[in-house]
Amino acid sequence: MYYQTAMKTAIVTGAAKPDSIGFAVVQGLLEEGCAVVVADLYEEGFGGLKGCLCVKTDVSDPAAADAMVGKAVEKHGRIDFLVNAVGGSWGITQQDLRAPPPRGFRGLINCTLDDWRTILDANLDSAYYCSRAAAPYLKKQGGAIVNISSVAARKGIPPGAEGSSGPYAVAKAGVMAMTRQLALELGEFGVRVNCVAPGVVASGRLQKVIAFSKGNQIPEGSMSQIPMGRVGTVSEIAALVVALCTDDTSYMTGVVIDANGASYAA
Amino acid sequence: MPLKGLKGKKALVTGAASGIGQAVAARLRKEGVEVFATDIHQTGDLIVCDLTDQGEVENLSGKLPGIDFLVNVAGGPVAPSRKNTLPDMPKSSVLLEDLSEQQWSGVIAANLTSAFLVCREFAPKMKARKFGRIVNFASIAARRGSSRVGVHYAAAKGGIIGLTKTLALELGSHNVTVNAIAPGYIKTERIARAGWGHDSLAAEKAFVESLPLRRAGKPDDIAGVVAMLCSEAGGYVSGATIDVNGGWYFGP
Repeated sequence: MYYQTAMKTAIVTGAAKPDSIGFAVVQGLLEEGCAVVVADLYEEGFGGLKGCLCVKTDVSDPAAADAMVGKAVEKHGRIDFLVNAVGGSWGITQQDLRAPPPRGFRGLINCTLDDWRTILDANLDSAYYCSRAAAPYLKKQGGAIVNISSVAARKGIPPGAEGSSGPYAVAKAGVMAMTRQLALELGEFGVRVNCVAPGVVASGRLQKVIAFSKGNQIPEGSMSQIPMGRVGTVSEIAALVVALCTDDTSYMTGVVIDANGASYAA
Repeated sequence: MPLKGLKGKKALVTGAASGIGQAVAARLRKEGVEVFATDIHQTGDLIVCDLTDQGEVENLSGKLPGIDFLVNVAGGPVAPSRKNTLPDMPKSSVLLEDLSEQQWSGVIAANLTSAFLVCREFAPKMKARKFGRIVNFASIAARRGSSRVGVHYAAAKGGIIGLTKTLALELGSHNVTVNAIAPGYIKTERIARAGWGHDSLAAEKAFVESLPLRRAGKPDDIAGVVAMLCSEAGGYVSGATIDVNGGWYFGP
């Protein structure tokens, strides 16, 4: 095999929707020869994930995250990579999985406490529970964790913007800090922990936001603020995630790669 | 799987006679990229070019076909010359009061002016072709500071980060990405020769063992990140500085 990824096992959370970053990551890891386990609430998507072990999981429930990791180990005997791709400001619980995006700006001050809790759970706690559950197995032979953050963690969500939220920006900043902390704790075991912070990406979720927006409104502001003049593609972001699993990035840990079309240089 | 978007492309790699530049050229060739490699000193079949000389950079550009990937590796904490492409690093820390204006200017020229001249020469052509990937080289010295290499080198590499961010804004709408890599302790030939600066293997060992990844970097560790940035994976990454240092410093 081209890379040392063959016969390795990856868990990707939030990968069942076919137009998601997670789904594209799964395809990339399968191409690299990995066995892939998908954890998602969206069961309808499982049929589209040929060759994967799909485990219906609410990763914001620590017991469910543990059980999912247990199933992965039971089937494949090892875990080499964990990609925490679950997230978003809506469409993140069993109840609102298929709901359209809520209208209006949800900042930190005007969101409901339920918004805050739900969004923190889905974006930050979920990645923590999965990392914590997978760490003992990753440590056995080394491997990589890749977290998905967002440009929202860098620059916030401007008041008025729809489709994202203030709690999301805070949760994704937590994901960056968690990346650094886990890098320190897992480095000596050969487990690298890195993070990708995408800007606006042409996922299914973006299509739903654009569907109700007037003109060029996108969750993090407007298109005119992206110097590259376009949104990112799920395959570009997925390729970056896969590269953070392979030996191409063997000396990187604790790092955030911003992939936002030059809209925010950290 | 090979990285997508590399095969058949053309790259210019500067500072390719040794160390990181040499590893980058080899890695891109392995991916099927046609690589044009330069250094200030005649080594093998490398193109000789003093990148601090505008005329020589123009002359270099005239000889090359359209370049897809520009990788500006040339530089280092001591200014090179045609006679000595890889001058030794000082054995111990370089202090401000010991730096001459000549050393300052030489290091700024070798690291920053060279990148400016090369970008100014090749970026317009990338714009015209509506495709390009520029990878500049910063350093951990610019990110967290360094008590080893001196303010001139840290300032030059800090300049690279500013150049990178601004050029990313300028070229974004032309489908040209511009990023920087900030390597940490990469044990190239020159660095290995210089030692850790405390004249002590024990000091180096203690430092390396304090790193999260518990080892010094290798030139190939950097070459992989260059390949990643030039591939499809780098398509939406622009204006970024990528820290590659084994966890020594995490970035902003």
